[in-house]
Amino acid sequence: MDETTSQVEWKKGSAELLILSLVEARPRHGYEISKLIEQRSGGSVRFHVASLYPLLYRLERRGWLVGRWVEKSGQRRRRYYRLTRQGRSVLASQLRGWREFVAGINRITEAENA
Amino acid sequence: MPEWKPEILRRLAPLKLSSAREAEIADELAQHLEDRYQELLLTRQSEDTAFRTAIDELEGEYLLAQGLRPVERDWYREPVAVGKDSSNVFSGIFQDLRYALRMLQKSPGFTAIAVLTLALGIGANTAIFSMVNGVLLRPLAFQQPQQLCVIREIIPQLTKFYPTFPANLPSFRIWKRELHSFENIGIANGISIHFIGRGGAIELPGAKVSSSLLETLGTYPALGRNFRADEDDPGRDHEVILTNSFWRSEFQADPAIVGKAITLNSESFEVVGVLPASFHFPQSSELGALTNFSPRLAFLKPLGEDASQFDAMGDLDYAAIGRLRAGVSLAQALSELNVVQAQIAKQANEHMDLRAEIIPLASEVLGPARQGLLFLLAAVGAVLLIVCVNLANLLLARVPRRMREAAIRTALGASRARLVRQMLTESLLLGILGGALGILLASFGVSTLVRAAPPGVPRLAEVSIDGRVLLFAIVISVVTAALFGILPAWQVAHTEPLDALKSGATNTTESRRTRSLRSSLIGLEVALSTVLLILAGLFTSSLVHLLRVNTGFTAEHILATDVDLPPRSYPSNAAGQRFYDQVLAAIRTLPGVRSVGWINQLPLAGEGSVSAIGLPSTNKTDASNFPLADFRVASPDYFSTMEIPVIAGRIYTAADRGRKLAVISQRAAERLWPGNDPNGQMCVINWGGWKTFQVIGVVGDIRTVQMDKSPVMMVYMQDLPFDNVALGGSIVVRTMMDPSGAASAVREAINKIDSNVPITALRPMTEVISKSVDTRRFQMRLALLFAVCALFLASLGIFGVVGYSVERRRQELGIRMALGAARHDLLRMVLRQGMTPVTVGLAAGVVTALFAGRLIGSLLFDISANDPVTLATVVLVVAGVGLVACFVPARRAMRVDPIVALRYE
Repeated sequence: MDETTSQVEWKKGSAELLILSLVEARPRHGYEISKLIEQRSGGSVRFHVASLYPLLYRLERRGWLVGRWVEKSGQRRRRYYRLTRQGRSVLASQLRGWREFVAGINRITEAENA
Repeated sequence: MPEWKPEILRRLAPLKLSSAREAEIADELAQHLEDRYQELLLTRQSEDTAFRTAIDELEGEYLLAQGLRPVERDWYREPVAVGKDSSNVFSGIFQDLRYALRMLQKSPGFTAIAVLTLALGIGANTAIFSMVNGVLLRPLAFQQPQQLCVIREIIPQLTKFYPTFPANLPSFRIWKRELHSFENIGIANGISIHFIGRGGAIELPGAKVSSSLLETLGTYPALGRNFRADEDDPGRDHEVILTNSFWRSEFQADPAIVGKAITLNSESFEVVGVLPASFHFPQSSELGALTNFSPRLAFLKPLGEDASQFDAMGDLDYAAIGRLRAGVSLAQALSELNVVQAQIAKQANEHMDLRAEIIPLASEVLGPARQGLLFLLAAVGAVLLIVCVNLANLLLARVPRRMREAAIRTALGASRARLVRQMLTESLLLGILGGALGILLASFGVSTLVRAAPPGVPRLAEVSIDGRVLLFAIVISVVTAALFGILPAWQVAHTEPLDALKSGATNTTESRRTRSLRSSLIGLEVALSTVLLILAGLFTSSLVHLLRVNTGFTAEHILATDVDLPPRSYPSNAAGQRFYDQVLAAIRTLPGVRSVGWINQLPLAGEGSVSAIGLPSTNKTDASNFPLADFRVASPDYFSTMEIPVIAGRIYTAADRGRKLAVISQRAAERLWPGNDPNGQMCVINWGGWKTFQVIGVVGDIRTVQMDKSPVMMVYMQDLPFDNVALGGSIVVRTMMDPSGAASAVREAINKIDSNVPITALRPMTEVISKSVDTRRFQMRLALLFAVCALFLASLGIFGVVGYSVERRRQELGIRMALGAARHDLLRMVLRQGMTPVTVGLAAGVVTALFAGRLIGSLLFDISANDPVTLATVVLVVAGVGLVACFVPARRAMRVDPIVALRYE
């Protein structure tokens, strides 16, 4: 498996989780979300416009996020995404699943390397 | 600053999103790209590089659309307010419906009024249509009813008295043998039989029928069997087939009854079958004059008659029903039948010709009811039209409010067609809601109508709400919706957006066009209600005239009691006479009784015995010399009791019993002995063979058969000219007080003499008269009801339009007043403007009614279709109601305070 393909697959599986967890604490706009993902992953994960927004709209359509136009003084208006009650419970279950998965992987790899 | 949006929009184009959604996405993405660009500039990149790096975020030409396509599909539809033509027809309709629902919810008062008036209009129409459907449209409940026809005999020499007669038994036998045009022929005659049921002694109405009758009709018993051919003969006829309703009511639908014996006329009859519930034998009024069938038959029994005992030219009282062979036309069958009739006449050798008439059963049964029912349908249709007009007016009043909305939508790209569709969807929704409620109302209305309808209306039992009625209700709901919705929709759609937006919402006044449209609608409403009122008025006057007709007797204070003499206990005329003598003597002594008499058949209670009468010297071979007269057997006191005046001579007395004496009516005297004194003259009467009577007196003419037919020739006698039967009859009692008060005493007196004699009816004579005009009264009441509804709706319409116009012109009225117009000037102006369409409508209505009146001429009695009193009354009523409906809002106009009105701006 080459590097790019694995990255794409990885992104697909976890992108939803990343976005949901980024808006958990407070509403954020699209650019902010993409910047945070890039920064926190040390530049290893990046979302471009063409992939980020379809994803945001899909989450919004599922009712996990709600987008709202907000106009702050001196700035152009931006669309802020907030986690919904349903989104919050989806995030919780995805996180739990993810942790269990990682823990499982760790147990396997540690046992093999031990 | 770089332009991001064109780049984004180009990439979004393949998705064909609604423009609003497209703009929203472009906004958000452009902001993102701008943020990225600004950030890159901060890292000291050149503008050119920063721009290209930012654009790279869109990842080529197609990736964005590709990513968005699954998400955006079916999500954001075009917002309704924009109203741009969408490629998805159905999605638009759902939107329209949703939007219409929202609009209706926003004005619940308007919605409630609209739905309720529609429900009433559609409900009334559906109810009347279900009658038309059940009575006129639905095929008769027999197999291939179009092949069935009624055969009636014509004796050309007697057509001036009776155009046609029912059939006689010998003819039937010959027809069955000789005629090839018919697959089968059956005959029937109404009878009644004494029966002691669960509720005591009753006279059970039934029919004796040839074994071929049910086969001809294509009806087969639901249980048991049909009669066999050999059971037509006398002595083998002790079998009955029960109708379904009698089987249910008397035998609790017990299937084991088949094969058991029941007692009728004190004789034992075996039940051989039970008819299906769908079987409805036509009643007398449906089978032509001189037949005698009860509307509610209880049983059929075999003929049991020996045809050779019958006069070839007499006893014409069987209803004959034939089934034409497939492919044989009425004309072919008739020409064959007439050949056979000529042979019968030749063999009979009575110097009379014989011909026949074949009428399709359906038109014979339904003919008389058709005109009345169609009139009612037209009347109730007119009411619905008025409902439409009122709703159109209500919607037109809302047009100015909707114009702004329409203007905005047009400005945003909505086409006119789309606006019209949206408006029509709203009226359609109202139509559907009103229609649904209307069907519910109609289901109640139908049972009320059937209960209220007179027995003369044929096939009432078959009236119900079926698929066709439902379809009718749905179609009229939709058509109604289209009718009242199209004008306002057109008005809204033809708004110039700029005009509507320029003027403020409050200032959007009615255009001159809208106002004249509303006025013409008012005119239409007034015209329709005027027509209905005039026609209903004509019906009412007809009925009043009819009830005022001089019947020739005094019905007030008369109690009429019908009795039937069971043949076992009363085998002879003499036995019957003894019974009546005893009863009359007993009743005469009751307190409060002034006089009492009896007659074998009451006036206005149906046709009685009819026979030929003439002078002894007249050539008996020429039937045209012998007019037909109605015969009655009556006691001597009958005449004084009924207050029928003796014009000449005297009435027979008890001492005359056994002598062949006759009392005749004035009309008979004038016809038989014109200009001469009939007293003491002899006459011959063909009643069971020619018999000679002496005329001893002349009494006044009375209405015998129908209130609306001039009096017929009457012959009264004290005894039957033969002794082998006792006649049932009516005992008439003249009381001092309310006749109903004597009912129980009379009943008791009869029971004391013979408790086995059933009393079949006991009611004041006035009720007999009233019942004889039931059909007219029913028609009149419905016509009047519809007319009053129409007038009420029209007055609401006038009130609404004038009131609304005053409301909208408040400011104008204020200015006029400020400029010195007197209050009564304003009042006059508003009244004039309101009354103009009323006057025009009134005139149009009167003219239309003059034409429509001719169509219903045959439903009227003793009144012309352009009766000036009716016309003048209606004109006054409509003008008065119109004036009141205009005056109330006009007075409000008068009270306008100029200061307040101007400040209102």
